[in-house]
Amino acid sequence: MTYQSYLDGEPVIITAAVTGGVHGKEANPNLPETPAEIAAAARACEGAGASIVHLHARKENGERAFSTDAFQEVTDAVRSATDNIIIQHSTGGTAAPDELRVEPLLTDPAPEMASLDMGPLNRYGKLTSENTRSLVDRLHEVMLDRNIKPELEVFNGGHLNESLRIIDDLVAPPYINLVFGGGTTTIPHPRNLCTLADTLPPGTEFNILGFGPHQLPMTTQGLLLGGHVRVGLEDNLYYRRGELATSNEQLVKRAVRIATELGRPIATPKQARSILGLK
Amino acid sequence: MTSQCPFLIYRKEHGEQSFDTARAFCTATDSFVQPMRADICNNRYGLTHTTDCEIYDAHQSTLDTDVSGAETE
Repeated sequence: MTYQSYLDGEPVIITAAVTGGVHGKEANPNLPETPAEIAAAARACEGAGASIVHLHARKENGERAFSTDAFQEVTDAVRSATDNIIIQHSTGGTAAPDELRVEPLLTDPAPEMASLDMGPLNRYGKLTSENTRSLVDRLHEVMLDRNIKPELEVFNGGHLNESLRIIDDLVAPPYINLVFGGGTTTIPHPRNLCTLADTLPPGTEFNILGFGPHQLPMTTQGLLLGGHVRVGLEDNLYYRRGELATSNEQLVKRAVRIATELGRPIATPKQARSILGLK
Repeated sequence: MTSQCPFLIYRKEHGEQSFDTARAFCTATDSFVQPMRADICNNRYGLTHTTDCEIYDAHQSTLDTDVSGAETE
């Protein structure tokens, strides 16, 4: 994926990260937390142009849930509410024991995709999501066994090195999510995006995730470099400075507008499956 | 050690914020708690507020004197 991909007008895959697990309604009351709310958000995002929905599970009070049962409830609700969107489960979970990190992969049916963190990520003042190689390999083995395509979460440039450990075992094309934000993620800057995009393994499809105020500029630059984009309230609570986003759909619609103006057609779920080599 | 942070309570309303389900609230910061941080408050997944929460560190000296709605240690 390159600037030539942009010039060629190749379709862009939009992923909607609708809920997450770090913040909740205390930060933005429009953020969906219950399975019904998440399903309604996924439906709206699909209608707006998203072809992948990235899911987390929560308890009734908004707190994190990792069990297969919790993910089953969410994924069933989303499947019932949507037409053809690709379902991607998160396997992230700062401090959660490795046994729980596997659970989102064990729903019936398995998700078509799942996130796979490539290395450590600092949280708050004292936490680190370690994402050891041992855990990465274990999650990846389950994904291979269950025919789940991993999205490799590259929080910084060193995690591109980590992705090379498993790149040969991936079903083509590798799908890498470049993450820009604070802390241990890559510093959000156009040059850093260019550098990372230039050093991706050959044949890679890539996605851009920018946290907070970086969601709009980083994803827009990603469009110009032939990348795909992820938007949603998990990563960004605001539509613009000082103005909370009203919904995930609002953020997807903005991404669609910008991509369309730039000449990138929006990938349908069917096209997204073809681009990503999903069966 | 208590089973949860002594600064933690669950409530539905605070100021202009209200919720259908009671949510984690930190009496040290006087604000609702992020869901991920609530796992620290509740000592889940091997996390403990005494070792993993910088907010607890900064406010524990107030426990014996002025923490409304929370137990003392």
